[in-house]
Amino acid sequence: MAAESAAEQATDTYGITAPYGDELNDDVTRWDRAAEFPHEKWKPLQRSGLFTLPFAPEYGGAGRTLTETMAALEGLGHTSRDAGLNFSASTQIVSVGIPLQAFGSAELRERYLPQVTSGQAITAHAITEASHGSDVMNIRTTAVREGDEYVINGGKLFITNAPVADLFLLYVRTGKPGAFGLSTFLAERSTPGLTIGEPLETMGLRTSPISEVTLKDVRLPVGNRLGSEGAGFLIMDYVMKREVLFSFAVNLGEMTHRLKRVVEHATTRQQFGSAIGKNQAVAHKIADMRIAVETARKWLYDTGRKVEQGKDASLDVAATKILVSEANQRTAQDAIQIFGARGYLTDTGIERELRNAAAGSIYSGTNEIQRNCIAALMGL
Amino acid sequence: MSTAFNDPIRAYIVREFLAGEDAEDLTDDFDLIESTVVNSLGLVRLISWISETYRIPVDDIPLEPAAYRTLADIRDFVGKAAPAAPATV
Repeated sequence: MAAESAAEQATDTYGITAPYGDELNDDVTRWDRAAEFPHEKWKPLQRSGLFTLPFAPEYGGAGRTLTETMAALEGLGHTSRDAGLNFSASTQIVSVGIPLQAFGSAELRERYLPQVTSGQAITAHAITEASHGSDVMNIRTTAVREGDEYVINGGKLFITNAPVADLFLLYVRTGKPGAFGLSTFLAERSTPGLTIGEPLETMGLRTSPISEVTLKDVRLPVGNRLGSEGAGFLIMDYVMKREVLFSFAVNLGEMTHRLKRVVEHATTRQQFGSAIGKNQAVAHKIADMRIAVETARKWLYDTGRKVEQGKDASLDVAATKILVSEANQRTAQDAIQIFGARGYLTDTGIERELRNAAAGSIYSGTNEIQRNCIAALMGL
Repeated sequence: MSTAFNDPIRAYIVREFLAGEDAEDLTDDFDLIESTVVNSLGLVRLISWISETYRIPVDDIPLEPAAYRTLADIRDFVGKAAPAAPATV
């Protein structure tokens, strides 16, 4: 039996994107080759209500919980073979909407959240810098207060959704070095001095555009700051936990779909007079894939519930991120081997899954940094 | 002195920062920062946990390490802060 989703049984949000499968999966190979953001596929995602889930009804949201939102994103990963689009959709929910709802002023929430929950405004958060990738506490982009405004100078790199985004959440330094000198600001794309670079060519997730964002004398009103000055690290911590849970819930759905596909192939593909799944070498690989998928599921939802309950999940989030990203890479590699030459062909989409999985051990804090974090939490 | 059983803040610090160690010295005025029981990474976690557990609005969360020096200091501002409306996520 192929893996069944616990989320599928537990919540009605899992299947909300399923009716849009045909639209989402139209010409995925061509879009991947073109490395373009598929604007026309954003519309079915808007119609599905995916972007409304974790937000309050007064802003057009559906008022669903964190784990219900994770289940919907898992469902998206299972339905849609466009992992780049899936990643951009997850970024849409977490990058601006989540911190805006939790930390934004009433004025900012009223002005911007309805655009985010409808998907009308595409969003991005700008954390990474050329000289500071995972070392986020040493961000160098500065915001200096001048009267009722802040003047921001610096630059951000590898910003997901930036080439198509309308709203940006900027993490910048307003004070002393280290965690307590960081602050967070909301900026519209049209803000003078905010320049978006050309999309960067990537190995995988090619339909999720990334680029540089340059900030030169960008003037933002004090009212565009989320939370108090210096609260940026608190907002980042809040957001990064949810980013890991959301984007890797998508990966869980993708892995579950991959496992079903592999099982189907192993039971129908005949070699030497029997299905290849009858060979232990193949069957054990598939058994290991199943273990990886179920382990990922347990960690994701256990951690999700912990975060939902306001418990300290620092170690759990780091472990979940490592575990799911590496399971995604390993199962994608195994799928190619089981499919043989067909897995190596571009048109079957199997090789694309390995390319897409490669980024998972890099974004949201590299797996090396996550391991450092776990070691530090253990007092090492 | 409060015990871990009736003081969730003390219980958190014992669980997360003193696991497996003797927590007898953790009195209400024990200096968590000076003793390095709570280091810079720990401080970020502690503030984040307090913010989420007690749903304290971000504007009311003190961002100076001094506010987290002792259990008594932490309890003082947590007790005064009004909880924010619960968020769905």
